[in-house]
Amino acid sequence: MRARLNKTWVLFSVWFAHMSAYRAEVVIWMLSGAIPLIMMAVWIGKARAAGGQTGGFNEQRFAAYFLAAWITQQLIVAWVAWELDYQIRQGHLSPKLLRPLDPMWEFFAGHYSERLVRLPFMLLIVFAGLLIVPGTRLTPDIWHVLLYTLSVTLAFFTRFLIAYCIGILAFWFDQATAIDDFYFVAAAFLTGAFAPLEFYPPALRAFIEWTPFPYLVYYPVRVLTGEAPGPEIVRVLAIQLLWAAGFYALRSALWQRGLARYGAVGA
Amino acid sequence: MSDTDHSTTPVIQVRDLEKVYTVHEKEPGLRGSLASFVRRRKTLVRAVDRISFEIDAGQMVGFLGPNGAGKTTALKMLAGLLHPTDGFVRVGGHIPKERRTAFLKNITLVMGQKQQLLWDLPALDSFLVNQAIYEIPNDEYRATMREFSEILELEGILKKQVRKLSLGERMKCELAAALLHRPRVLFLDEPTIGLDVNMQVRIREFIAEYNRRFNATVILTSHYMADVTALCKRIIVIDKGHIVFDGDLSALVEEAAPGKTVRLELSENVPDERLRFYGKLISREGLFADVLVPRNETSRLAARMLAELPVADVTIEDPPIEGVIGTLFSGTNKQPVDAVPVGAEQAAR
Repeated sequence: MRARLNKTWVLFSVWFAHMSAYRAEVVIWMLSGAIPLIMMAVWIGKARAAGGQTGGFNEQRFAAYFLAAWITQQLIVAWVAWELDYQIRQGHLSPKLLRPLDPMWEFFAGHYSERLVRLPFMLLIVFAGLLIVPGTRLTPDIWHVLLYTLSVTLAFFTRFLIAYCIGILAFWFDQATAIDDFYFVAAAFLTGAFAPLEFYPPALRAFIEWTPFPYLVYYPVRVLTGEAPGPEIVRVLAIQLLWAAGFYALRSALWQRGLARYGAVGA
Repeated sequence: MSDTDHSTTPVIQVRDLEKVYTVHEKEPGLRGSLASFVRRRKTLVRAVDRISFEIDAGQMVGFLGPNGAGKTTALKMLAGLLHPTDGFVRVGGHIPKERRTAFLKNITLVMGQKQQLLWDLPALDSFLVNQAIYEIPNDEYRATMREFSEILELEGILKKQVRKLSLGERMKCELAAALLHRPRVLFLDEPTIGLDVNMQVRIREFIAEYNRRFNATVILTSHYMADVTALCKRIIVIDKGHIVFDGDLSALVEEAAPGKTVRLELSENVPDERLRFYGKLISREGLFADVLVPRNETSRLAARMLAELPVADVTIEDPPIEGVIGTLFSGTNKQPVDAVPVGAEQAAR
């Protein structure tokens, strides 16, 4: 147990140092994920044009929703599909495979510690957003922040594992990242980053509910903003746990089969 | 190393090991691209073809072979990176492809310039990661670091960003990182590639010292023959996926080069025809001549040359090992033991 804790601590601290070296790039990556902020301006404009509110959302509710959606998107960012795809195709995975630790945990440590590098810049932008739309309340109390932390962590696990599964496909395909591109398009529409799911046609919404996408952004946002009542929070956390466990199992199965195909080229 | 490991069991056991790759082929140009788009051509390449050998604990073995011979593929299978297509392989009682923790903690594979060090951080950070991953106790870590720092002269470079290190400095750090957990089986694939002569010597000395200290089993591939001759008594030569020689380095020279070179410095000019009487005249420059004579007649013929020719000086040498290996690979001396053509088939995808 002590060795495991030490491993965790060393991996996170070293990867935090590694990610800190890229802090300028991290800010640029953050700005490139600004869709919810742009959509916030669009929907607030629409609410104003409609006399103050549309579909039950006023300016402050839109601002809270999209700021929370932006935070959530920032916290679940995963680039492991690209990294894994590159390392498998170039043979750079080999040194990691020689060590008695599943390479996933090193990638995980890199992603998780990068959140800490992101955090100060995120808080600045959220603070600016709250100033721009006066009267916006992001969250009702600290308990919702804590529940959100749990929910967004599960959302991150799920997104990370989806990306990992996509990256593993590089054992079979020349360019698995093409599938991750497809994921980005699907996620933009289906996670609720473009609009709250209340605005989607009922049939589409019913379909989306059966996918992991709304549990990556839409539902964590409802937890943070206090829109989800207690029973919904419990349901959301349970379903998030199931999705994360499901993708973990899929990842393990793909990994075992993929390793048998590894070419270790050039390394 | 494991429950099944004891002194009489070879540390490395390989039987009929085989690896077949599927390679996609495409003709150059737009036409080739379009054709490949519709119908991809696949070829099966037998990189390692039923090789067998055993290596005892503490042995240092040189893997030699031309590019593409299959030696790196074989090493990767021994290290568990590649899954064999067929055959049996055990390293320290473990099946490598299962990648069990006990196995991984006892091996290392150093791959030339492929790095495990984190590029943007000092090497020391990568060492700390390895210490944690391999669960190396603090005392042991400090002792190993002290020892490696001394032998490899790491002092002063461990706190520099890896990207700022010279190739030689980086290679020393790579080697230290790969051996920090004190593995008992070392697979070294071109560990001195790109390094200057001094650094090559330093790395060689380090490997020899490590082998002596920990009774480590070492398989080494290198394009620098000096690495192999300095470290390995036993040589395994692989060509086209086959083992074409497995034995002592001296036996390899004897087998592959059945002659010796008698280098003559003459005191006065002698016609070439007279020199050819004793053996094959392989070079002649003024009063200097190299005559290749059959190995088993070297003494007799050298004595005759001394008696019958105006010789000022004479030396007898084995042909250079590079030449011997070159002869072996070119197939002029020996063919693969049981040559099997590389399998090829074409299939539409």
